[in-house]
Amino acid sequence: MILGDFGTSYTKLLDTDSAAGPKVMRTAELGLGVRADVGTGHNARLRSSVVVNELVALATGARRRIAARDFLVLDCGSRDVKFVAFENAKFKRAGWNSECGSSMGFSIELLEMHFKLDYKSLAVPEEHLAVACGVLGISAVFDAVARGEEVGGAVARFVKGIAMNAHRFAGCPAEIYLCGGLCENPLFVRSVPAAVTTLGRFLLLDGLLEIAGSGAWPRLTDRKPC
Amino acid sequence: MDLDAAAPDINVEAEARLIPRYYCAVLRTVLSNALRLELGTIYADVGRGKCDGARYVTEVLRHELSVPVIETENADMERRGNSVCVSSLPLVEKFEKIVESVKLPEGVRGDFSSSRPRCGFWGVPPRDFGLLELFPAETHVFGWTRCMENKTPADTRLELEFDPAIPTVFFAQSFCAKNSIAYYLAHLHPRGFYVDGDFDISASTRAKVEAFLELNGVTRGQQT
Repeated sequence: MILGDFGTSYTKLLDTDSAAGPKVMRTAELGLGVRADVGTGHNARLRSSVVVNELVALATGARRRIAARDFLVLDCGSRDVKFVAFENAKFKRAGWNSECGSSMGFSIELLEMHFKLDYKSLAVPEEHLAVACGVLGISAVFDAVARGEEVGGAVARFVKGIAMNAHRFAGCPAEIYLCGGLCENPLFVRSVPAAVTTLGRFLLLDGLLEIAGSGAWPRLTDRKPC
Repeated sequence: MDLDAAAPDINVEAEARLIPRYYCAVLRTVLSNALRLELGTIYADVGRGKCDGARYVTEVLRHELSVPVIETENADMERRGNSVCVSSLPLVEKFEKIVESVKLPEGVRGDFSSSRPRCGFWGVPPRDFGLLELFPAETHVFGWTRCMENKTPADTRLELEFDPAIPTVFFAQSFCAKNSIAYYLAHLHPRGFYVDGDFDISASTRAKVEAFLELNGVTRGQQT
């Protein structure tokens, strides 16, 4: 069975019949014939026989990986940010900012390529840029550079501003489990003002694995085909 | 006719000169309908059962239209019952019947078998009924919609009721003052979940409600 997390910038695929681990590929380079039996993510409806709600995949994957009964998991991807919180092992609340928080991860990656930066080598700054979203934040970086600020410092303040936004969106928790592509950005992870445990970028696939394998949904064919 | 419901071919955006875009979608619809339809007289409920917004939109209509605009208040407290709210009808159908009943002096007539609730929906009728399609038929209706069926729109005590035993979505129309109480009641409820919605329910709101229902075991999927 093929499981797919079809994100805006990156697609993650797992073949459950293969010993190989999940693959990551750029969504823009995905062949037309690439499909999953069970999928989630922004582009899942185009490429999956069965579509799973992203928040459900996130929550299920988190519960598979996290032993704590009280926790909050935040998924920072390319386009959006979403979280699910559990209290006493019960679903408590969720948020999905697909509009206003748009393109956070995408813009961070864009700036890295544009300025040829290495986020591993950038220090977390004291101050952050007040950025409403990724797209508007890029303008703030260009303005800061035009005022004479060093590029690396301006981008680091931008990344910290994005991290602060995501943290605030999740309700300012003291501890946070972080997943999604931005887990692999050390500057972003260190910029989140909380005790962070990273869970990697395959947590939604973990959720799909659980959902597809647990029998919680009696037959996959019962799910509404896209 | 009830001006709350969108009339065919009425473009709400066309009235943006008179009412802010970031405003209650229901009241924007009322204004647009009233300005475009050929009406003889408008009766506007501006009492405690409505809101300041309705009162001010009534003033706008009075200035913009030549037909009589008559203010009224519905302070009835005699509850007529809410068999539709607790029935086994699909949630969309429940709301359609309740909204239609505004025009019926005696309210909704019919024999509706009650259902054992699996979840609750608290709030006003959403501008976008697509939100309601996410819920199972065994959803009980609370909040101002229950007041509507009872014909007691100003009955705040009834409006604040909810069932703590069932997971419940607390909904308010974006920019409506009811958001504060919807938010607070969701906080009080052991399994409450607050959402708001404007003209159309956004994809993220839809996904949040779907996830809430699935993760609470209401719809097929994961059990908590």
